[in-house]
Amino acid sequence: MVNLYQFIPEIFILSLILITLCFGLFNKDRAVSLNTLGFILLSILLLNYGKEFYSSTQISLNTINLFVLSKIILSIGSIVFILLLKRPLKNENLYRYEYVLFLLFAILGSFVLISSNNFLTAFIGLELQSLSLYLMAAFNTKNLSSNEAGIKYFSLGALSSGFLLFGISMIYYDTGSFNIQYLDNFTAISEIGLSLVLISLFFKVSAAPFHIWTPDVYEGSPTISTLFFATLPKFASLIFLFRVYQELNIFEIKSLNYIFQMVCAISLLVGVYGAITQKVIKRLLAFSSINHIGFMLLGIMSYQFMSEGTLFFYLIIYLITTFGIFAVLLNLRTVDGEFTKISQLNGLRFTSNSKSISMLVFFFSLAGIPPFAGFFAKFFILSASINDGFILLSIIAVLSSVIAAFYYLTIIKNMFFNKSEIELLDDNNKTGKVIFISSGLIITLFFIYPDPLINLVDNLFK
Amino acid sequence: MSFPILSLLILTPIIGALTLSLSSSTQLKNKTIFLSGLWITTGEFLLSLLLPIFYDKSKNGYQFIEFHTWFDKFDINYYVGVDGVSIPLILLTTFLVPICLLCSINSIQNRAKEFVIYFLLLESFIIGVFVSIDLVIFYVFFEAVLIPMFLIIGIWGGENRLYATFKFFLYTLAGSVLMLLAIIYIISKVKSGNIELISDFTFDQQIELVLFLCFFASFAVKVPMFPFHTWLPDAHVQAPTSGSVILAGVLLKLGAYGFIRLSLPFFEYASIYFQPMIFALSCVAIVYTSIVALRQLDMKKMIAYSSVAHMGFVTIGIFTLTQDGINGAYFQMISHGIVSAALFLIVGVVYERHHTRMISDYSGVTNVMPKYSFFFMIFMLSSVGLPGTSGFVGEFLVIMSTISVSVYLTFFTAIGVILGASYMLLLYKNINFGDIKSDIKQLADLTNIEIFYFSCLAFLTMLLGIYPKLLFEMINKSISLSII
Repeated sequence: MVNLYQFIPEIFILSLILITLCFGLFNKDRAVSLNTLGFILLSILLLNYGKEFYSSTQISLNTINLFVLSKIILSIGSIVFILLLKRPLKNENLYRYEYVLFLLFAILGSFVLISSNNFLTAFIGLELQSLSLYLMAAFNTKNLSSNEAGIKYFSLGALSSGFLLFGISMIYYDTGSFNIQYLDNFTAISEIGLSLVLISLFFKVSAAPFHIWTPDVYEGSPTISTLFFATLPKFASLIFLFRVYQELNIFEIKSLNYIFQMVCAISLLVGVYGAITQKVIKRLLAFSSINHIGFMLLGIMSYQFMSEGTLFFYLIIYLITTFGIFAVLLNLRTVDGEFTKISQLNGLRFTSNSKSISMLVFFFSLAGIPPFAGFFAKFFILSASINDGFILLSIIAVLSSVIAAFYYLTIIKNMFFNKSEIELLDDNNKTGKVIFISSGLIITLFFIYPDPLINLVDNLFK
Repeated sequence: MSFPILSLLILTPIIGALTLSLSSSTQLKNKTIFLSGLWITTGEFLLSLLLPIFYDKSKNGYQFIEFHTWFDKFDINYYVGVDGVSIPLILLTTFLVPICLLCSINSIQNRAKEFVIYFLLLESFIIGVFVSIDLVIFYVFFEAVLIPMFLIIGIWGGENRLYATFKFFLYTLAGSVLMLLAIIYIISKVKSGNIELISDFTFDQQIELVLFLCFFASFAVKVPMFPFHTWLPDAHVQAPTSGSVILAGVLLKLGAYGFIRLSLPFFEYASIYFQPMIFALSCVAIVYTSIVALRQLDMKKMIAYSSVAHMGFVTIGIFTLTQDGINGAYFQMISHGIVSAALFLIVGVVYERHHTRMISDYSGVTNVMPKYSFFFMIFMLSSVGLPGTSGFVGEFLVIMSTISVSVYLTFFTAIGVILGASYMLLLYKNINFGDIKSDIKQLADLTNIEIFYFSCLAFLTMLLGIYPKLLFEMINKSISLSII
């Protein structure tokens, strides 16, 4: 008898999908707001009863905490995302309820992916997530670059799925099992298989050198979809990567560990060097996200010292910052359409106080300058990694963040020092404003009162 | 003492900045904004005067201690306190910030509100550096200082301000991140960020050398020491007068303060090991930058190079590792804080009137601006190190203490004094004496406000020069503890 308790979150989302499908036929506005409500309900459910869902299973307590926390973060992220998406989609005449459906499918995929103990389930989750992402990238069907982004993402994504399947089948051939938890005694074949699985996951989180799709897809897709790619699915894939690393004890397998370290170092460096010359803000954010993935991989590798807390803390801060930045970007438009170039941010200081100061906070935080939360996120990751003996990688990481500071400063320079050339229209989107101001406040005030966030992460790992 | 005076010192400017930022900018005139900024900073100065009054000089260790847990899990705490080494620097900061605001009332016309806000934030971060006795919050404040300074140079600077402010920020950041790694390593070893605990801990010698170099990278950029000094002339030349004042007056002292407060007590072995390297670099700094200063055409650049030379005395003094040497270095820090700040103000005065900093554009200023030349002379002589001014005491003590180390060292530092005298006198001669140029004639002499702050600064220079014991009483005990 299969215990259905543990599937409650997934079943909840599935029923949300069905309801949205029916409702959307009649009233798309209400279908969207219904989802907000649904996710609020889901977050409350998870916050209060999350651990009990899994209590009858044989999963270890630590892993249960991991599931619950990441699902809470995903559903809160979805709330914010759904609140944000209305206005930007309307601006581009794309406001259809199907968009929310794709979102729901992607989130469902992420949920499945996070809590899967089996490579095949993980594959299903990953595919469900990715297929929705391809559609979201190409959602602006009248725009050529959006189509291009969708196709690029799809073809490369399909390739990486192929790698994943091939890797899984090699592991199955070798060990006769799909189960993540009970794999051990690796031979060379399953090591190769695992490395293929890792490559596919690196592709999903856009770690270098598997990052080539990222700038193009980020740039071409509608900005709201870019926000989604940059946050929630990446988060889910990263959590799964973390689980693979942890459950399979990859740090004990020399060759795979070596791959991991190389990818981490390359991501750190490619992220910063790629970003320096970028003129388009979404491309810059794409490269900067690659750099941050490098930090997160460092966090994954050094989980032994300070548990999952450091990684999660970094992820949460990164998600908050990214949401804030995109909320600002989505709120800005030029006269002839969406704004894309960094130089179009010129003189934002004179047009909008709240936006420019929030952006200042976000970018200094991404650069890891204290007293903003981004500094502490990096600080904890570095503490963990130095304690675990990754001295060289830590040095690369901090030096890369110095170079990263250069291009973050360039953006701040454009906003604060330059005179504006093009008039930026303010969308005056109230929800967007609330979101970026509150994320700015969280990032700033964390310094004064760090307890709530730290406790949130800490309590779940006790 | 239960009264949280140090937190209050950190928070007052921040709260002031917050209230200012929440007030609507359209209604307030520039003058009102500056006046409110002045009130806040003057209040802060009076508040900081309580520190030397209530500080008990007979006791060892830190006083006015406040302790709150901050990150339980990592054993990082909000732990502040002051001793004799930090109090004079705090006073210097709170004293210079009102002057910075005062001197920019006329010159900063646009975005005055932001200007005052950044200065207030800067002040509270700097004070934060001087009061923190936990490594992590030390680092937090040490880095946070960069943000307002970056904006001040970038927004109100000269033509080439972007280059200068980026260079300033990235140089300092690059040095600091290495220190961050070292800090993390130390905390992971000692299991605490408490400065006193770390001082008692002994590291492996090899590791200690590496850690020392990491800290050195950060502080040497800040001081700045010889190969890392190139950001300073650019930043000074491009910064607005007030920015240069705070940069030369206080920010450069952060590096030297770091050496005294962290490097010496933490890394006893490495401090001795690297003594020759630091002496060599400082000697090069003193001689080389003095020669470079001789050939400068731009007044601000000349004073900037002279700053590097003067800070060379400080690093030499600190690493003689003797009581006299560190005392002298510390005295030189405070004296340089006052004098170089005053010299940048002096440049600012004529720049505001004549809109050029080229030395060749000025001559015969004495005839039109006698009061100006008078003050200029005082500060110039103090910078040269004339007995009776504050510049003399520090240089004298440093040179004296070098004899115990090496006569060659004494020789080079003494050469620095001579070169210093020559470029400062040359600067003074070129600007103040000679024929009056036609466009110099319309320059107005000092206003009452300018006379006010110049007299304050001049008074302090003389006071410290004539009665140096005032400062030594404060620092002697604390410094004797940090010597190995």
